Amino acid sequence: MEKKLQVKDLTLSFRTQNGKVQAVRDISFDLYKGETLAIVGESGSGKSVTSKAIMGISAVNAIIENGEILYDGKDLTKIGEEQFYELRGNKIAMIFQDPMSSLNPIMRIGKQLTEAMLLKGKANQRESKKNFNTMLHYLEQNMISSVADQGAEKAKEISAKVKDFDKFEYKHLELEGEYNEALDCATESVEEIKNILFEIEKNAVAPKAVAGRIKIILGFAKKAVSRYVVHSNASRYNELLAAVSAESKNVKVSKDFTQLSAQLKEMLEILEDAIAYVQPNFFAMGYYLTFSGAELPEMPVSELNVFLRKYLDDNFMLDFIAQAKKGIEYSYFNSVENKKKAIACIDEQFGVFNKEELVHSEVNAASKILIDAVEATIDRLAIKKDSYAYTFELAIKNAVKLYFTGIAKNDKEIKRHEKEQAKYDKIIAKGKQPEWKVTPAKVIDLDLAKKNICKLLTATKENFVNAVENMANCDFDAVTVEMIDYLKAQAAGVVNKVTQSMAKRKAIKLMEEVGIPEPRKRYRQYPFEFSGGMRQRIVIAIALAANPDILICDEPTTALDVTIQAQILELINKLKVERQLSVIFITHDLGVVANMADRIAVMYAGKIVEYGTSEDVFYSPAHPYTWALLASMPDLDTNEKLDAIPGTPPNMIYPPKGDAFAERNKYALEIDFEMQPPMFQISETHSAATWLLHPDAPKVNPPKIVTERIERMRERGGSSNG
Amino acid sequence: MAENNNEVLLKVENLCQFFKMGKMELKAVNNVSFDIKKGEVFGLVGESGCGKTTTGRTIIKLYDATSGNVYFKGQRIVAGIRSYKDAIKAKRAEANAKIKALDQADPDYSAKKEEIVSEAQAFITEQRKLIDEARKDHKNCDKEYAKLQVERVKEKYNKLMQEADPAELEALKKEYKAELYKAKRAKIVTQIQMIFQDPIASLDPRMTVKDIISEGLIINGEKDKAVIEQKVYEMLELVGLVREHATRYPHEFSGGQRQRIGVARSIIMNPDMIIADEPVSALDVSIQAQVINLLNELREKFGLTILFIAHDLSVVKYFSDRIGVMYFGNMVELASSEELFAHPMHPYTRSLLSAIPLPDPIYEKQRKRIIYNPLAEHDYSVDKPSMREVVPGHFIFCNDAEEIKYREELTK
Repeated sequence: MEKKLQVKDLTLSFRTQNGKVQAVRDISFDLYKGETLAIVGESGSGKSVTSKAIMGISAVNAIIENGEILYDGKDLTKIGEEQFYELRGNKIAMIFQDPMSSLNPIMRIGKQLTEAMLLKGKANQRESKKNFNTMLHYLEQNMISSVADQGAEKAKEISAKVKDFDKFEYKHLELEGEYNEALDCATESVEEIKNILFEIEKNAVAPKAVAGRIKIILGFAKKAVSRYVVHSNASRYNELLAAVSAESKNVKVSKDFTQLSAQLKEMLEILEDAIAYVQPNFFAMGYYLTFSGAELPEMPVSELNVFLRKYLDDNFMLDFIAQAKKGIEYSYFNSVENKKKAIACIDEQFGVFNKEELVHSEVNAASKILIDAVEATIDRLAIKKDSYAYTFELAIKNAVKLYFTGIAKNDKEIKRHEKEQAKYDKIIAKGKQPEWKVTPAKVIDLDLAKKNICKLLTATKENFVNAVENMANCDFDAVTVEMIDYLKAQAAGVVNKVTQSMAKRKAIKLMEEVGIPEPRKRYRQYPFEFSGGMRQRIVIAIALAANPDILICDEPTTALDVTIQAQILELINKLKVERQLSVIFITHDLGVVANMADRIAVMYAGKIVEYGTSEDVFYSPAHPYTWALLASMPDLDTNEKLDAIPGTPPNMIYPPKGDAFAERNKYALEIDFEMQPPMFQISETHSAATWLLHPDAPKVNPPKIVTERIERMRERGGSSNG
Repeated sequence: MAENNNEVLLKVENLCQFFKMGKMELKAVNNVSFDIKKGEVFGLVGESGCGKTTTGRTIIKLYDATSGNVYFKGQRIVAGIRSYKDAIKAKRAEANAKIKALDQADPDYSAKKEEIVSEAQAFITEQRKLIDEARKDHKNCDKEYAKLQVERVKEKYNKLMQEADPAELEALKKEYKAELYKAKRAKIVTQIQMIFQDPIASLDPRMTVKDIISEGLIINGEKDKAVIEQKVYEMLELVGLVREHATRYPHEFSGGQRQRIGVARSIIMNPDMIIADEPVSALDVSIQAQVINLLNELREKFGLTILFIAHDLSVVKYFSDRIGVMYFGNMVELASSEELFAHPMHPYTRSLLSAIPLPDPIYEKQRKRIIYNPLAEHDYSVDKPSMREVVPGHFIFCNDAEEIKYREELTK
């Protein structure tokens, strides 16, 4: 599976007056495409802090001390605010816990929903244009280089071809946009007509209200007529529209629905036929219209598609694909060659960084060589970017800088601290209580900094070795098709202009999707007119409006009741499947997690204490903290007293020396107070940080309430499976 | 506990609470009836906006009920008058229609008219009387309760003072005065206390914990500072806090501790009943468990009766003896918690139960949520529904046809 987001060794602290609060301590996880990762823990365990770091909205006093967050060839811990503007909301969206504080109280809901769509619409157009042009440019370059031995004539030919592609690519999208608009309207009217027919059947609609409802439906239905949607029987359809409009006014007086429902049913039939129709091949059509100079021949759509496809293939596409494939192959092998060189280069320069004490000039020279070598390995035509190579430059520069700042400042800092401490002790010795506190020494661990540099190099090298080994597996036909699709998608982004009315329609659709009744009326209301659940739905609708890649949900359903919670979880699940969304789901409610998560990370005091698939964590929990969480929530079969976790989480200004949970843990061993447990691997997907898993540890069983529940779940699961 | 005790502590009868919204009327609570026995935990569930909180607030007289009665310990504490007014209106319309139908040429015309008018008049006077009574009860329930208390105190101390030593008399007199002062200010409604949902918003940020907890005592006439302090410490220890916390402010506490302060504030008045309005919804799982365990302990210790309003069904099931399910202002199903979860009958209850998430991934992946659409489920165009006892102890909001169907399914 494709890794969307990688968090590696992230350590984050907050500077406060009383000292440094270590909110997140050395956590790592991966997020794959189309999966949900749940982060579970009590409040204050650092789950929200992690997600805010991913969004780039950490508080001002936060310091990212170590670690990387890799996304799409960027390290999110090191990029600037400018670059975050492009990601935030657009690629990575977040749903917050408190809906009232994330809505603007003096703006109508409709405006808040469409605002981002309109703004992002323009930005997306720009972004897509940039992507399309750069990618096409690289493709052209590589295609030319791949045939360098065939002379300048060939190169010119290729340039011309690429220009042609550019031209008709845009043309076809205009046609497609028109078609999609009509299709959307048709689908919308079908749904509305079905609703009103159902209500008429159940006698639940007032004759007075009919005219208004019909007017809205007709508004959509009128737009559904286009060349490829309601085409063949358009005249009858238009007649029907007029008839329905007249009849809806009659109904008010006559209170008789029979004629109206008959007319609506006929309309419904026409529309449903139209939606089920074959979609024309607009890509080929664009080419035909641009270059043949002839009108489209009159024939049924399925035949037309075959004809157009043949015309396109014969004249342009097959040739273009063959050449593009060559270009991609050329670029790929070029990159692999460079990777081999880079591996050798890293091996050569490794000694410079692996010394007792690093020399500034040597290190600078070596890192320059390395940066160049790694830069050369980047395959610009790969659609999925290699995060290691793209972030290498920044990462190594930062790591080196950290080390040398340490050398320059550590002694000074230690001296300052000693001086202050001595002064403080003196005052204490006199029996007074000083009003100020000693600022703790900020000492950079040189060994750790050096280790980090070496780790970075070995990780990069490993990555390259893997890539070189997997060289033979590359299917260039598939890659070429992917490339063409990518270009098509980017071009679509350029043409798809978001207008006010489109945004409104999309917003109303979204509001319906998240379960808000009467969205057209609600669209014009203010946030205070909504109940808590409704407000949260609006917030979710806003987050989804931009079609993000990654959705971070920070306790989105904690304040909602079960039915709405279930609806919203279903909604998020549905969107996840439809859009291949990756979701980070933060919550303390394990019931919700079981529904949503593919994998679960249990966090306590800034560390991940258990990590595994949801089956692992629920059916064979290994960490005492997970047991305690499971034991403290009642389910429908619980009758005995709940096992509440005693005490509160530790103060993270002074993190405990051993396991942070030891203080509140019934099963704590002596070593838990002395040493932090490492992550013990239980199975391939499941790991937990507790000394109980050490081979020398005594055998401990989870509390009765948990084992009994697992037993029950096993029985139920077994019976429903069999 | 509740099973072998049948004394009804709180009785809610056809309670309606409507809010005016311009010309429209929002029926937040519509004709809800139930009773709560002594020592029992009665759970009220439903989605947000279905009127469960409004029901709780109307009972404790935070709103003036539109119609219906609430009896607490046999005394009427809430009385609405809308139903009587509606009856008068209907009678008038009926009488007018009858008069219109009369034949003017009839020689007995005036006599017949007289008869109808007088009959209607009698009915209306009767209803008016009821309205007056209801108004009086609604307004004066506290005064009457205070009178009763004063008499009780007088009786007790008169007896004591007659028998007492002259040396002790002075002290006794003082005590009597204090008790009388308190009795005069006694209110029946303070026997019902409320715990609110949001522990942050329900505590005054400018008052110390001691001020917050003791406020009720002071309002009710306790003047002895030592007694107040003693009681506050007692309550703090009871809810699992320590004496040192008394001088702190609410913002210095975590969410669970704040909710504990809310609990302490409600039980210091030594109430017979507590209305807990979503007391754990805003809390972490581990703290939820702490607060639920605390409420359970207090309930056993003082024999408290609790009206538990919540939307987390697993918690309600764990905590309550009987459960009422509300949907858009109506009570749709009422049964003991085992019965309700074993045999949910009303389609809304079924949809609600099907939405509960459980910590079990395999089950969760197979779980199918039932969607409730009142239009598709019921046909109430002819036969109007009402609350009916389908089998003993199991009430369902249904009409005749549905009642038969439900009974068949339940007795199968």
